[in-house]
Amino acid sequence: MNETTNVLTNEQRVKLVQDQKRKLTYQSAMLSIAGILGFLLLWEFLAISGVIEGNKLSDVLQVFRLFITKFVDKKPDGAILPVHIWSSLEVALCGFGLAVLIGIPLGWLMGWYRGFDSFMRPIFEIIRPIPPVSWIPLTIVWLGVGLQAKAFIVFFAAFVPCLINSYTGIRQTKEVLKNVGKTCGASYFTIFWKVGIPSSMTMTFAGIKVAIGNAWATLVAAEMLASSSGLGYMILMGRSYGRVDLVIMGILVIGILGVVISALINLLENLVLGWKKL
Amino acid sequence: MDEKKKVILRLENICQSYVVQNGVKDAVENVSFEIYDNEFLVILGPGHCGKTVLMNMIAGLEKPVGGRIFLDGEEIHGSDRRIGMVFQSMNLMPWRTVMGNVEFGLELAGVKKAERRAVAQKYIDLVGLQGFENSYPHELSGGMKQRVGIARAYTNNPQILLMDEPFGALDAQTRYAMEEEVLRIWGQEKRTIIFVTNNIEEAVFLADRIVLLSNCPATVKQIYDLNGLPKPRNMTDPEFLRIRSEVSANTDLAL
Amino acid sequence: MSKKQEMLSAAEIREKRLSVLYKILPVVSVLLLVALWLAASSSGTGFPSPAQVWDRTVQLFVKPVKKLTLIGHVLISLRRIGLALLFDWTFGIAFGVLIGWFPRAKALLGPLFNAFRAIPPLAWIPLITLWFGIGEFPKVLIVIFGSLASIVVNVQAGMSNVEKMYLDVGTVFNATPRQRLMKIAFPSALDAIFAGVRTSTSAAWMVVLAAEMLGANAGVGFLISRGMDSLDMPLVLTGMVAIGIVGAILAVVTQFAERMICPWTRRKKSY
Repeated sequence: MNETTNVLTNEQRVKLVQDQKRKLTYQSAMLSIAGILGFLLLWEFLAISGVIEGNKLSDVLQVFRLFITKFVDKKPDGAILPVHIWSSLEVALCGFGLAVLIGIPLGWLMGWYRGFDSFMRPIFEIIRPIPPVSWIPLTIVWLGVGLQAKAFIVFFAAFVPCLINSYTGIRQTKEVLKNVGKTCGASYFTIFWKVGIPSSMTMTFAGIKVAIGNAWATLVAAEMLASSSGLGYMILMGRSYGRVDLVIMGILVIGILGVVISALINLLENLVLGWKKL
Repeated sequence: MDEKKKVILRLENICQSYVVQNGVKDAVENVSFEIYDNEFLVILGPGHCGKTVLMNMIAGLEKPVGGRIFLDGEEIHGSDRRIGMVFQSMNLMPWRTVMGNVEFGLELAGVKKAERRAVAQKYIDLVGLQGFENSYPHELSGGMKQRVGIARAYTNNPQILLMDEPFGALDAQTRYAMEEEVLRIWGQEKRTIIFVTNNIEEAVFLADRIVLLSNCPATVKQIYDLNGLPKPRNMTDPEFLRIRSEVSANTDLAL
Repeated sequence: MSKKQEMLSAAEIREKRLSVLYKILPVVSVLLLVALWLAASSSGTGFPSPAQVWDRTVQLFVKPVKKLTLIGHVLISLRRIGLALLFDWTFGIAFGVLIGWFPRAKALLGPLFNAFRAIPPLAWIPLITLWFGIGEFPKVLIVIFGSLASIVVNVQAGMSNVEKMYLDVGTVFNATPRQRLMKIAFPSALDAIFAGVRTSTSAAWMVVLAAEMLGANAGVGFLISRGMDSLDMPLVLTGMVAIGIVGAILAVVTQFAERMICPWTRRKKSY
């Protein structure tokens, strides 16, 4: 190093830092692409070279071609892809919507009113540890194999996180905020409405996000165990006909739809919880 | 007197600035001063004027954009074992007990267990925490936590101890007590201490010398020599109050 | 009015009455639930009564289904999730640390992992049974696929959000990169890791049921699907109750283990 330390001008400094940042983003983007490309190439290699037999793994292009043809082709499971997707979405939205509409207000009320809490809590605690999937046999007996039965199971999966999070959220309402309401002479219900619910929104949305994930995951199980339509049914049929391309395509469609739904929920959260952003 | 004044740390034209959304924000600008061996130097400055940034650069937590730091005559880059630090936010590891936190530095240095236990125990005793060796930080009060922080910094036997607003988070009562404590500890285990604060009274109470920094970007405004005022000092002593108001009149207001 | 009552203010009396009410209400609700159950079973919809379920449970200990008592089936299911979790916790924690701590590893493998995570665990069942049939290994594999993501996500989050103030301490003490990872980052992520352990355990328990319901000849999930196939509703309910109890025990055990291993985390649980 030379005796006098180089003093950079402001512009040079800004440029230096920005260049460094750009280089890092570029590098990580390249690595990400390399990772995904590497995976696809490995998959393609395994499928084409015959290291794994064709009835166990189909190559990437084959899956993609099936995705296109499945829009019009009913074989082998009796319905085209959009029908399956619609059937799944319908069930998921019914069950999830019901869970949000019932679970969240219930959580709020339980978190705010002690009497209601002590009445509802035991029932909830009895039902909570039972995994939603194990309700399937009972719902089949009660409701048969239709939209209602599946929606009921999805409802169970989404209900628990909705309730727990809105409950915890409203329980964490800051005492000071409640006191502000009290000193303004507001009734307990007004404070609930104007202070409790808004301050629980962050947690509530966290619950909704968990709930939609649970709902989507449970839906697949419900469709495999008790259904004659939907994406879960489609991959199960693919399994029984030994159509590995159909199974892989179905899994990918399920995954992508799940991502799209979560993204929509995030969008909604940003709209509703705009004040959280600085 | 002259032989005592051996320069141990020298800052030379230290500059630091950060790139923010629209351009550059300067935090520290051409700060130069010297610190003598075993002195209690207080860096006093308003609000967020770049005192912590200065400390972080001496400790090696960030790199200065310009300028150099000399320790014992040789330039240092980055952190150095001869410099210890007591943090403003205490930075105790919640998963370690008091003993675990105090011996952390020695553990990283690879000192054997029995030996580091002995050293750590010595400093736990020094800061008056005997009996709390197996407590976790969350079980301690603020003042006790900062005692752990001081003991931790001492165990590595640094030549220079940096204290970055160590009592900023404490309530006034505890703060007075801790100020006296830190002087007592310093009296027993002499080290060079660089103590950062925004509290004028605290500065006048503790310092051998005060380096007064200006508001952002930080520059050295004035250096006060308080060696004429014997310790322990009395906060209601007329001479104390005179210096205090003199420093006070010269201090920039934080925005 | 007695003297003592006079000494209480109106608000205190109200408070006292309310606290009694709060003690009575839970009992009322449980009784209501039982009454509802009884009503449902007597209405002739084929829903079994509590007595029938109890009888069936007792019978399950004396007259095994597929040579196994209820305990046997529970143990089979537990063995499956045990094996899966063993893999989850070793590989999952290592992988989570890798992509949480090393930015390059995250850039390379993060997107692939996120794609894997987007797929619901149970959707793997058809593919895995297509690959490996319906033996013991594919079932464990399904459970692994179903519970791996939750632990990796938690470990990754914990490792990438290590507070700078702890790392600063390491810098001041001249920690080596290895020490930064092992002595600072990893312990500070331990509570996130334990959150992952807990969620992966409950996820594993749910997935093993689904896997067993879709094709097995032992395990609690099998009991339920057996009950469904043979229209043996009491058996279904016995299975459900057993599942609920075991699930609750697993949750308590993992929470207890967390308290033992990380005594510094005093979680404020409102639920």
